[in-house]
Order: sequence, then C-alpha cells, then structure tokens
Amino acid sequence: MMGLGSVSSSLLLLGQAAQVQQVPAASLSVQGMAPAWAFWILSVLTVVGALSTILRRNLIGAVMSMVATFFGIASLYALLSAHFLAAIQVLVYAGAIMVLFVFVIMVLNREEAEPWALRSPVIKALGTGSLVYLAVRLGEMLLSPKAGVLQTAGHPSGEYGTVASIGDYFFTKFLFPFEAISILLVIAVIGAVVLARTVAKPTSVHEAGAAPLPSSNGDGDDAAADASHGGH
Amino acid sequence: MQQFWQNLSVISTEHFLILGVVLFAIGVFGVFLRRNALITLMSIELILNAANLTLLAFARAQQDMRGQALALLVIAVAAAEAAIGLAIVVGVFRNRHNTNLDDLTLLRY
Repeated sequence: MMGLGSVSSSLLLLGQAAQVQQVPAASLSVQGMAPAWAFWILSVLTVVGALSTILRRNLIGAVMSMVATFFGIASLYALLSAHFLAAIQVLVYAGAIMVLFVFVIMVLNREEAEPWALRSPVIKALGTGSLVYLAVRLGEMLLSPKAGVLQTAGHPSGEYGTVASIGDYFFTKFLFPFEAISILLVIAVIGAVVLARTVAKPTSVHEAGAAPLPSSNGDGDDAAADASHGGH
Repeated sequence: MQQFWQNLSVISTEHFLILGVVLFAIGVFGVFLRRNALITLMSIELILNAANLTLLAFARAQQDMRGQALALLVIAVAAAEAAIGLAIVVGVFRNRHNTNLDDLTLLRY
C-alpha cells in the first residue's frame, strides 16, 4: 500500500532534515533554504498524495493518501525550520484527525453511486481553463530569473522554531489567541458530542414518565422511531 | 534554460509558495469535483495545510516566529473543524442515509 512506504520514507527524511539544520551552514554545499533533493522528493510525495486523496473512490484509500500527504507536509515544515510544528502536524493530523476520519468511514460504510459532481460542459471547460492558466503561471515562475528574490540570506538563529520560542510567544504576545483557541476547542468538543448524539429523548422520557398519556404518542414516537432506526 | 536548472537546484521561498498554491488548488478541486461529504472535508484539510505551508514559508523568509504561532492556531482550528464536520456528516447520514452533498438541498432557495 502507498501509505506505509511513503510514511517510512518521510520519517527518514524528517530525521535527516533535522540533522541538516544542526550542522553549520558553511560546511554544507546547500544553497537556498533547503536541500533541493529533499524538497523535490517531499513535494512530489505531497502532491501525489493530495491528488490521490481527491481522486480515489475508495474512502479508506483516500484517508491513507491524506495521511501520506500530511507526513510530507510535516517534513516540509521541518525543512522550513519549524520542528515543533512538524511534530504537532504528525500528532494532530496523522494521529487524531486520521482516526476520526477512519472511524466515521467505518461507521457509515457506504459506497457512493456517482462520485463526480461536474456534469455541465461549461463548468468542465472553466475548470480545465483555470487549471491550464495555473500551470502556465507556475511554470513561468519557475523559469523566471526573478525567482529567489524573497529568500533572505543566511540560516535562522538557533532559537528559531524551537519549542521554547513558540511557548514564549504563546504566553506573552499570543496569550489571548491561545486562551481563545482553547475555548474554541472545548466548544467544538461539546458541539461534536451534541451533534453526533443519538436523539432518543422522547423514548426515555416516555419510559421514565410515570403515566404515559395516550395522546402524546403521535409525533414523539415517530421521531424516536426514526432516530433509533438511524442509529442502527 | 540554465535559469530553470538554477531555480530547480536552489530552493527559495517561492518554491514553498508554489507548492502551497498547488496544494490549495488540489483542495479546491476536491471540494468542487467530489460529491462525498467526507472527501470534501479532507479537501478542506488540504486547503488549510496549504495555507499553513505558506505561513511557515513567509515566517522562515522573514525569520519571524509569529508565523509559526499563527500556524499552530490554524492547526487547532482545523482539528475543531474536522470534529464538528464529521459530527455533522454522521448526523446527516443518520437522517438521510447517504452523504451525497448534491442531495442536501433543503435549505436551498
């Protein structure tokens, strides 16, 4: 399967990228921000994984391609000296979010009848045209002599990208966004529980109630029957 | 042509930005092309990751840690979005027994 091989290779690259960052820049013949071979291998892995994510019909295969993509992106973060974020990316995406997706796919387990949403030829022509335009502009950029003007000279200081410097930011300048994001996560967890919960309230009230009224059997029982049917 | 090989062998910020654009475009095409709600959610994750890659590339170019702090916030928002989105998908599936986005037209018009 594509997932395992690319995952192990990107782990290897992650380690090598971390080593490259520790070696003084003068002893390496690396020009630019990152070793070219690492960047190209990782970007090919990432783009192929992303394409495979959106083109596969098999949902589990799509999720595994997405995980391979996220490993590639994590390694690219490491190339950009963001080692802490690379670790967080692997933990959050390849860990938590992949488990969520796989779990939901296993619960739903439905084959899709017709996966492609585009039918109108006008839309297809527009999409193809925008893709061609994008490819032309990106190729132009790669050929242009102005490439590299955004690059700043020299390697970042030793503090750049470490856990300590990110923590420093989060507990001084970014304190409010940090607290706000924690509240957002709590709200998201509660909201997910509320949304995904089986709505069986009418039955439980009905069963717990001391004297069930004959007249209350209409709507409540229908909703409860629907909910329990959907739950199975 | 020599410029082309030079651009291939010396990695600069633009390379990461181009990769971000390509990933973003793949994500947008996934949202447009597929009808399955789960694939759409995965495409949204791809889009958020492309934005993160761009943030980190600029942060690295300017040697500014604020870009990395922002990227961490984006990851947290993406995790919250995935949890809520998947809960919505489960709820929709429970009510309608499929996850085809083209069938969800109750709030249209």
